[in-house]
Amino acid sequence: MKIAFTSTGTSWESTIDPRFGRTDFLLLYNQEDDSLEAIDNRDIKNVEHGAGPKTAQLIADHAPAILITGNGPGGNAASVLKLMNLKIYVGAGGMTVREAYQAYQNNQLKEGV
Amino acid sequence: MREIVVISGKGGTGKTSVVSALAYVAQKNLVLADCDVDAADLHLIFEPDLAETEDFFSGVKAVIDPASCTNCGICASHCRFDAIRVESGQHKVMSLDCEGCGYCYELCPTQAISLPQQLVGQCYRSRTRMGFSLVHAKLGIGADNSGKLVARVKDLARKQAKTEKQDFILIDGSPGIGCPVIASLSGADQVLFVTEPSLSALSDLKRVWELTDKFQIPAQCVINKADINPAVTEEIKLFLASQGIALAAEIPYDGDFHTAIAEGKSLIEINQSKWSPVFENIWTACSQEKS
Repeated sequence: MKIAFTSTGTSWESTIDPRFGRTDFLLLYNQEDDSLEAIDNRDIKNVEHGAGPKTAQLIADHAPAILITGNGPGGNAASVLKLMNLKIYVGAGGMTVREAYQAYQNNQLKEGV
Repeated sequence: MREIVVISGKGGTGKTSVVSALAYVAQKNLVLADCDVDAADLHLIFEPDLAETEDFFSGVKAVIDPASCTNCGICASHCRFDAIRVESGQHKVMSLDCEGCGYCYELCPTQAISLPQQLVGQCYRSRTRMGFSLVHAKLGIGADNSGKLVARVKDLARKQAKTEKQDFILIDGSPGIGCPVIASLSGADQVLFVTEPSLSALSDLKRVWELTDKFQIPAQCVINKADINPAVTEEIKLFLASQGIALAAEIPYDGDFHTAIAEGKSLIEINQSKWSPVFENIWTACSQEKS
């Protein structure tokens, strides 16, 4: 199973980016082979409108089963994400990616839209 | 670091007056960000020094190079925005009408059309007359605010707050519920609504709350001019209670708001003994609430 995190950096010690659409990085943790892949999303800074749906497309391209983020996606992004087989957990803003993963494993994160 | 965003949905509720009074209260402890970029006005009160300026580019517009244009008219006949006209025999893009969709660029048989990025305004990092930093922006005539610009202003504010080791970023949010507001809210720890007892303000409050709730950001509300329509004020209070939004303050209609704007000051500078306790209470409520 793949788990995606919105992150401000590329490692387990990076802080979760509370933003969905304008997150700096997407981190993909693959539980099967214990690998962590970082996808650079910083070009989103140059997008005037529709950052949410663009990042949702990126999620669709990598098809994780779980998304862990901070505030959660806005309306347009949410309507795209709803069509995927994806569970969203929110409220991880301020945690490191490692802490967020532990919080998820301990059922401490809220399920989002 | 804690990000507090002040939004209203409807204009004219007193949002900026509240922001400037809160900034006065917390002046030793914050970086202020003006994300109401369409109608930025905090600079009128805090006299920023524009210490650092950066150009802001956003969007594209079509430009026709007359040297390679054959005036075939394909672009003009396909433009959905009627933005291409003929002036003295030459096809030209009316830049205020051009939406930058790029259709003409794709269709032009002689590649005479280019889509240059538009310089639409400037972002500033300033020191204000009170000493704290203000990050703000100015858009050119006809230029659009966007999530991109708001995200940039907030980015600069976060960096500045980190450098100065400030505890708070106070954000004057954008109007409405669209992309700039989403960018104002994203990453925030606390939202403060400023509303007034009018039906349109209540309607906009509900819309903007729907968005805030989606982001699961705790919210408080100030009802300004609360005495001008007690019935709607009651309705607002019922709505706040039903949604679990804390009422931070009810402020009766007061001419000091106008005086402050006319004199380019914060409310507290107009009448310290009257306004200081009001806004200190609101600031305490916003700055201590646990998310």
